[in-house]
Amino acid sequence: MPPLRDLFFQRDAIRRSVIASYWLAIILALPLWWNTTTIYRLSLPSSRVEAIARNKLLLPISICLVTNDHSLPGKLHHHLVRSTDYWKVLDVHIFGDLDCSSLGEGVYRVAPGIGLPDLHGRTLLFPYQDEETLPALADALSSLIVPYSSLPDREHRVAQYSPRYRLAFSLLNEDASAGNVILNWDVKTAIHRHITPILRSLSMFHNFTIESQVQFYAPLAFSPQLLEDGSYGLTHENLMVFINSAEWTLSSSASNDPVLHFILFVPSADRKPLRILDADGNPSTSNSFLLPQWGGIVLHNPSNFDESNDASILQASFSAFSHQLLSLLGIPQLPSGIRDTASDSSIREWQLDALLRRRTLENAKGSQDTLKSIIKLVDQIENMPVGQDVKGDVEDALEELTKMYGSATSSLQQTFRHSALALGLASRAFFNPGMLALLYFPAEHKYAVYTPLFASAVIPLFVAALRELKAWRLQRKAAAATGVQN
Amino acid sequence: MWNIRYFLLVGLCVPTLAAIESFFEELSLRNLNDGKVASRFSFTTRLEGVSPRDPRTLGFDDEAQHYRVFPLALGQILREYGVSELHLTLNAGRWDYDRWGYPEEKGVGTGAELWAWMGDGAPMSIDNRWKGLRNALAGLFCASLGSMDELRTTAPSQAFPPEGRLPSVDLPHQLRHASLPSEHVCTENLTPFLKLLPCKSLSGIASLLNPHRLFDADWHGMGVHVLWGEEEGVEVRLAFQSVMDPLRYSLSMSRDWSFQSLFSRVINKTCPVAVSSRVTVALPQQDAIEIKPNPSIEGEAAFFDVATVAKPLNVGMHWQHNFQYPLGEPIPLTPLSVQRTLKGSSQDRGQLSLVIINHETTTVYARYLETMPWLVQFHLHTLQAQVKGITSGNIISNFTYVPAVPHSRPTTFEAMLSLPPRSTIHLTMDVTKAFLRYTEHQPDAQRGWDLPPAVITPVEPLNSRMYTAGLLVDLATPDFSMPYNVIIFTCSLMAFIFGSIFNLLTRKFVVVRLD
Amino acid sequence: MPSLNVAFPALVVARLFVALSSLPDVLKHNHQLSSPLTSFSQLQEGIYLFNHDIDIYSGGTFRHSPLLLATFATIIPTSHTLSSILWTLCDAAGAWALVKIWRARQNVASTPRDSLIAASYLLNPYIFMSTLALSTSSLENTLTLFSIMFACHGNISAALLAFAFLIQLSLSSIVILTPLLLLLITNPLSHLASPRPILVSLRKTIPLLGEITAYTLILSLVSTLVAGSWAWIPQTWGATLTLPDLTPNPGMWWYFFTEMFDHFRPFFLMVFSIHLLIYIAPVCIKFQHDSLYATFILLGVLGTFKAYPTSSDPGLFLSMISLFPETYPYFRHPIVTTLLHLHASLLLPLFHHLWLVQGTGNANFFYASTLVFACANGAALIDCIWAGLRIAIGKQHENSAVVQE
Repeated sequence: MPPLRDLFFQRDAIRRSVIASYWLAIILALPLWWNTTTIYRLSLPSSRVEAIARNKLLLPISICLVTNDHSLPGKLHHHLVRSTDYWKVLDVHIFGDLDCSSLGEGVYRVAPGIGLPDLHGRTLLFPYQDEETLPALADALSSLIVPYSSLPDREHRVAQYSPRYRLAFSLLNEDASAGNVILNWDVKTAIHRHITPILRSLSMFHNFTIESQVQFYAPLAFSPQLLEDGSYGLTHENLMVFINSAEWTLSSSASNDPVLHFILFVPSADRKPLRILDADGNPSTSNSFLLPQWGGIVLHNPSNFDESNDASILQASFSAFSHQLLSLLGIPQLPSGIRDTASDSSIREWQLDALLRRRTLENAKGSQDTLKSIIKLVDQIENMPVGQDVKGDVEDALEELTKMYGSATSSLQQTFRHSALALGLASRAFFNPGMLALLYFPAEHKYAVYTPLFASAVIPLFVAALRELKAWRLQRKAAAATGVQN
Repeated sequence: MWNIRYFLLVGLCVPTLAAIESFFEELSLRNLNDGKVASRFSFTTRLEGVSPRDPRTLGFDDEAQHYRVFPLALGQILREYGVSELHLTLNAGRWDYDRWGYPEEKGVGTGAELWAWMGDGAPMSIDNRWKGLRNALAGLFCASLGSMDELRTTAPSQAFPPEGRLPSVDLPHQLRHASLPSEHVCTENLTPFLKLLPCKSLSGIASLLNPHRLFDADWHGMGVHVLWGEEEGVEVRLAFQSVMDPLRYSLSMSRDWSFQSLFSRVINKTCPVAVSSRVTVALPQQDAIEIKPNPSIEGEAAFFDVATVAKPLNVGMHWQHNFQYPLGEPIPLTPLSVQRTLKGSSQDRGQLSLVIINHETTTVYARYLETMPWLVQFHLHTLQAQVKGITSGNIISNFTYVPAVPHSRPTTFEAMLSLPPRSTIHLTMDVTKAFLRYTEHQPDAQRGWDLPPAVITPVEPLNSRMYTAGLLVDLATPDFSMPYNVIIFTCSLMAFIFGSIFNLLTRKFVVVRLD
Repeated sequence: MPSLNVAFPALVVARLFVALSSLPDVLKHNHQLSSPLTSFSQLQEGIYLFNHDIDIYSGGTFRHSPLLLATFATIIPTSHTLSSILWTLCDAAGAWALVKIWRARQNVASTPRDSLIAASYLLNPYIFMSTLALSTSSLENTLTLFSIMFACHGNISAALLAFAFLIQLSLSSIVILTPLLLLLITNPLSHLASPRPILVSLRKTIPLLGEITAYTLILSLVSTLVAGSWAWIPQTWGATLTLPDLTPNPGMWWYFFTEMFDHFRPFFLMVFSIHLLIYIAPVCIKFQHDSLYATFILLGVLGTFKAYPTSSDPGLFLSMISLFPETYPYFRHPIVTTLLHLHASLLLPLFHHLWLVQGTGNANFFYASTLVFACANGAALIDCIWAGLRIAIGKQHENSAVVQE
């Protein structure tokens, strides 16, 4: 029998290099494997998010009290903080001065006045002399500086913050062929007169686009109740289902900006006049109502005689719209006890400041919560891809939040701007469609796909490699043993 | 940025020149040779003094939009994506050009067809705007236009010229076109359509739009057309066409019809905002007829002004003689008759065949457009034109061809045909049918794929367009239950061969004694 | 056995006779004989579009090399008859190259087996049918055989040039580059029975590698000039790696990737491509004493596992078995292999027809046939490796057997 060991390809070295070359190819292919199956997941700055989410925004407020009594500011502070919890997010600083004349930007000034409280810019003229009047002054300041604390119900009315809104004005005639309708309205002039001043003073909060339309057939989805005096009434339940979205084409879904609707509704001639009923079923004097976060509706019952008097109708309706717009956007009303001396109905600094503080706090909390949710979601779902855009948005939002905290003590407007940007970025990251791209593929399926190939092809390679390794170590031992013997 | 915003806001406050809005409605009725009645509703809204949104301003806030009769929901979409011209048609059935002649509204291709001209220069690419436009219109009209994705979108250069004018010459405009022959038109598409009309279907001519009768018609289709002209401004035309068969409802073979018999409705009220509102009835030339109520006659047509005639208005036509079957050989009303088929029973290839008959006594020139999803791939070198069985080399000229990209772009083939007088031309071309990944098949894979119609555009008369019938292509399907089976079988076989070779190459040979 | 001088022309004439019959029209679109990468009608389509100035690599389904395009668009007309003659002559040249390889291996001027070798190529139905269908895989086979023939004769430049052309036509042929280089620095003589480790320094292959790289670069540049852009690379070479066209073929890729989940598609494309490359080093190490045999084995691997195979790919491997008669006694299961091939070559067309034309079959049936075909090719491959190694041990006593431990 020929000695088989002489065959060169039977040698250990050849066999080992064959096995090694198989393994070499597999090892070289590993990066490709990684490359073709990995889900693109960038790491998010979770510790920074955690850290910043622990922060609480504290907005400073300075009030200068015109007084020569140095104990008065301290006492006022005591009264203020006691009145409502809302003050806790504010860092109130009250100081007294003889005339408070040389003050920085954004400092409120309280000066003694006569009669009803009065506002001049950021100055409040209030009849205070001694400690007796301090609680009243504290109440007045509370209702000016933290107006949201008093009426929790109103909070739901206010539309969620968005940097852009669309305002849609619609003139809806219930039935144009029944006669006695408004076929035309001079909406541009009315908007210019009533809405534009508001938009201008709110330009630091939002951008607005305006659109308007007229509909000639806008039926209601229900029949209003016939009242004893021949008029028709809308009960509270009716108001809730007033909007007939099936029949009224109010707005398209062309853009993602939230829409605030303002509807001037002209009931059909045979359902006239249409009135709003109060809780007791009696017609109320108001002819407008507001749907929280959605918009406002004004009913108009045209009389048979003054069809031509278009301007006065619009005057009334648009003034109602402007009030509705203010409540929807969260501009607080002036407290009733304060005299309105300004000639126009423009928005006061106190109101804007209160809104700025409110929106800033909301946005800060909203963006922090959103960022935390993103981190949590990405942690929970391992198959969720995280692209550069998501990571970039999260980092930019963090950056804006940091800037926001940095500017909190210096400028309220800056703080607000950073908070708004942070919220926008955080929401964009959260709703990034790329994170949903991959369908959920359970791990069991993954094994079912990989096993047929790997179990049958790679296991022999493993076994061979292990056997060679073992044989090689045995040989080493034997060689060492012979070496020792020799 | 804040400065810009402020500036734009200030811009808002200045009242711009009021746009003059006007609304016209018209219904025209026409008797067809085969006893049917073609009706076409057209509702036109003009926004004079307004031009389409400049695409370069798409990045900024739009100026205020105030509409009275112009549909706001549509206007928003047009402005959001800066669309200069838009045509959307949703049709059911096949338009019979031979018997019915050219339709009054040209877009009669089966299913949904959408094409739009958009100016370049926007921060968003044309394709992204096209995608947004598709999705927005899909939402507005409850149609599955969203599936007109890049698999179906083409940009033919000749067949769909703008029907209005395109604003500002320094901006190149681009066309996007897609058709979805499998789209079925039904009431849920008509409802949003009616909501765009100022008087809905409650008064005026639109009150005749009764879905129960319209969707029972032999052919019906609706269209939304947005054009721009320097004088006219932006014009939106909503159109509804139908072909109804009075003989089907008649017991006595009578062609008599009336609004009541066709639509089960009459016009009770005038639409108060319509500038003009009229009904036109084309008068048949030979037959003796009687038309009620008394119309004003102008040439070969009878007119009714809905605003002035007595209501309720129920226009009707009465024939002195009953209809006689058979019809006899119909005289084709269009210069060309076109028929397209996909031949071959095999699932991997076939032959596309187009038969065109030129009825004229002169040579007719026409453009031929095929937009084919990549599922069917052309073999252009086999394209042949035959007249009377003889291959003719000078029928096809000036062709442009954009080959398909597998799994994405469709093929676009456009050619000029010169069709000799009084002859039948056979165009044939071999095609291969693609094999799809199992995830690419439709849920009802065995049904086949609907292919878009070909479009023939005769050079004369100008702006006429003929759609062929759609096609259904049968593609080979894999077994949809097999993924894991195939992975297991193929991997195991590969691993077996791999393992055997590995063993042969690594194991030692030994000699064993067999005792 | 008739001498080659008589048999060869007779075979070629017979082949020409069949090629000019109406049979090619029937076979032209057969998926087993031509793949989307080698189909003649695709080539014609490409030439047509190329002549009409349409950029065929910007999209579409044209996946032939720009070199083929340039050749056929300018020099050689593609009329059916002419092409049939050309393809048959190509086969004849391939057969002639196979005979030359055989003579080089035997190191003699002529042998009585010459005619048999030529017949094994010219009458191999897998190759024969594919050529009738005018599949460009016949041209690839001829180029393969030419580069091997030149390598056997030590004609370095010619061998490498032919091989560079081959890579332009089919990227996966790069698998046989290593044994071909080894063949260039050794000799084609049979050392299977008396294996000796390779003695020549492997450094000698480095200039050869440089030369083939240069040729490939030049040809790629020419291709780019013809195509007008680099777009031909993803369209031709890329197709073998990414499998954009899932037209059925007798190979193992198409149904696998038809049914593959989208998420795992890139991974398995990578695995299937790497799987082709993994054999190169082990086979070359094990058969370093006989590089021609290593080339032959790797051609078998290609025929079994490549991305868009046609029947002529395993056909080349089967025809080349005739070069190694010394291994025949050591085959373990030649009958089984033969029967499997017979079986597969009946099943494949039958189920293809039932599925796609008749409509009574189902994709699974054809898939099962391709599995049988893969079994047949695998069996042949395994047996050839066994025999190629086993021959070194030689004949054994009757009551002893050679096994692998």
